[in-house]
Amino acid sequence: MSILDKILGGNTLYYPGCLTKFVAKDLEEKYQEILRQEGIDFITLSELELCCGSPALKAGYLADFKKAAKENMKIFKDHGVTKVITNCPACFMILKKYYQEALGKDWNIEVEHISQTLGSKLKAQNSKLQPKVKNLKLTYHDPCHLGRQMGVYDQPRTVIKNLGYRISEMKLNKKNSFCCGGGGGVQSNEPDLASKIAQDRIKQAKETGARILCTACPLCYLHLKENAKGIKVKELSQLFSLNKGKNDHQ
Amino acid sequence: MTINKQSFWDRETKTALWRIVLEYQGKRDQALKKNQLEMEGFREEVHQMKKQALDQIDQLRKQAIANLEANGIRVFEAKDDNQARKIIEKLLKDKKRVIKAKTNAFGEIDQKGFLADKQVQETDLGDFVVSLVGDPEAHPVLPALHLSPEKIAQAIEKKYRKRILPTAEGIAEFARNYLREKINRAQAGITGANAITADGKIVILENEGNISLVSRWPESHIVVAGFEKIVPSLKEALMVVQASAIWGTGQDWPAYVSVIASPSKTADIANETIIGAQGAKEVNLVLLDNGRGRLIEAGFSELLHCLNCGACLNFCPVYHQIGSHYGGKYLGSRGVVFAAFSQSLKKAKLANCFACTLCSACLENCPAKIDLPELMRKLRTLLEKEGWQTKENEKMIANIRKFGNPFGKIEEGQIPKELYCC
Ligand code: SF4
Repeated sequence: MSILDKILGGNTLYYPGCLTKFVAKDLEEKYQEILRQEGIDFITLSELELCCGSPALKAGYLADFKKAAKENMKIFKDHGVTKVITNCPACFMILKKYYQEALGKDWNIEVEHISQTLGSKLKAQNSKLQPKVKNLKLTYHDPCHLGRQMGVYDQPRTVIKNLGYRISEMKLNKKNSFCCGGGGGVQSNEPDLASKIAQDRIKQAKETGARILCTACPLCYLHLKENAKGIKVKELSQLFSLNKGKNDHQ
Repeated sequence: MTINKQSFWDRETKTALWRIVLEYQGKRDQALKKNQLEMEGFREEVHQMKKQALDQIDQLRKQAIANLEANGIRVFEAKDDNQARKIIEKLLKDKKRVIKAKTNAFGEIDQKGFLADKQVQETDLGDFVVSLVGDPEAHPVLPALHLSPEKIAQAIEKKYRKRILPTAEGIAEFARNYLREKINRAQAGITGANAITADGKIVILENEGNISLVSRWPESHIVVAGFEKIVPSLKEALMVVQASAIWGTGQDWPAYVSVIASPSKTADIANETIIGAQGAKEVNLVLLDNGRGRLIEAGFSELLHCLNCGACLNFCPVYHQIGSHYGGKYLGSRGVVFAAFSQSLKKAKLANCFACTLCSACLENCPAKIDLPELMRKLRTLLEKEGWQTKENEKMIANIRKFGNPFGKIEEGQIPKELYCC
């Protein structure tokens, strides 16, 4: 992309979201590498951008949420952002659905979950993604904010399959998926409850016979991992091996 | 706030619950097929039907009251639970023996000590069993799902000194004989209603047949229902029946549907109309507001689309851990929201408003497509405004305000324990 294209066409922002940026930092690095490998031109705003406001909105702080939406929009526009790619389903839902609601017409920035970005590259057959395992069985957990709330069920699965994995579905999947228990502020407000729910989900995952449980959400990932016994929990990016010829878990 | 350790269901109950829920799911889908209904289309129809009814509820309510009264059904409007109890006490003034069928609306206004001077008998098998064991209802449609037949048989033996087979059949047989005697001697019967039509009919569905008896056998029938049960006509009422059966128990149609349009009457002798033949001599409807008006004013009217089928609980992750500790007088997310208006914001917080993960499983499973997670989120805004916030959330928002992220300042190599997200 030439400089002129960038100015005219606008910037694509990779927005990791607070949880990825401050807690699951390895995921952020990994996703940046993946985007680069896929030839996607993007900028980052690290310390400049703010929390999307999801935790504030869900805890009832409406004014704080609206403030975050306005400020982020200004920051994004100041940097010529016309498209946001995020790997966090909560940020994805907030930026796509709730920013639209809060900001109206002014919010004309396209928002994509990274599984959609990668999925459409695969569909257009211009992905550099290579299968690195052969028919290895895993099970996939639909994050509530990505699946039930935003209807993104297929793209993460497409990506996983193209990485050489075979998905063995849990009884409760897609629109019937069972929550990991961490969202909505419950991980911090009701930690015992959150853990018990996660343990139920882990049990359901183990019933598939898969040894790997993969999800496309940093919160589901951290929370399920914390409560997993007898199954490996992976975030989508961790299934990728980049220029090493081998996948991470091998 | 932290949920009490005793509030969590034990492993066996959880396993039993999952078995029931997964079986239910299959039956529900079969029932839809049998009725030749496509799930999403039908849900949208129910949603629209209830929305339209609620949009003109004041008018429908006036029509319903006028038409019911013209048919000889007495209507009493109750502003709140206190008033409802007073009305019922008055209606039961000279009556001692009362039988009750399943009614969640009665549960809504019930209180410790209310009708303590009467002999009140539950006749729904599940309710009969939980009241016998002394547990709260575990589910609005399947109140005794957490009790094994062995445990129930033991409770029966202890209370009635009667040995019975510890099987579902044995228990049902015992209850049938025991309850028939009670029904036979009852002076008044209390039921709920699934729908009330603006042209003056009360519609009640059931499987056991006890509602038919409770509503007809005693001299006086008292119906307790919220005004949101009012729909324009039988056409909409039958849609409520169908949706309630499919989503409530996974049946294509319930065993019985009663349509009550007046007290029992006959004109067989000398063509003179006499009120009170074999059925109830008087039918009384106690129509509840009890916070519903406030709920509409506050912009939560979607909650009143509820048919009370209980389906929103079936895949709720919170309900699967703490059962009846989630919610208020009604269980689950809708119970939390309802508590805020029928009781208080404090009650809504205590009903575990902040335990909801906003996962949307309730919305997905609701035949009326009520956006419960959105209502829950809106409720949290009210709680926040009125000072019912949690400590953890206060920490989170302080971090956002100060640092632009919910975790606050994070030292290198440190992972915050509390994931105030997402
Ligand atoms: S909210 Fe929906 S699913 Fe829940 S009881 Fe009411 S109608 Fe049924």
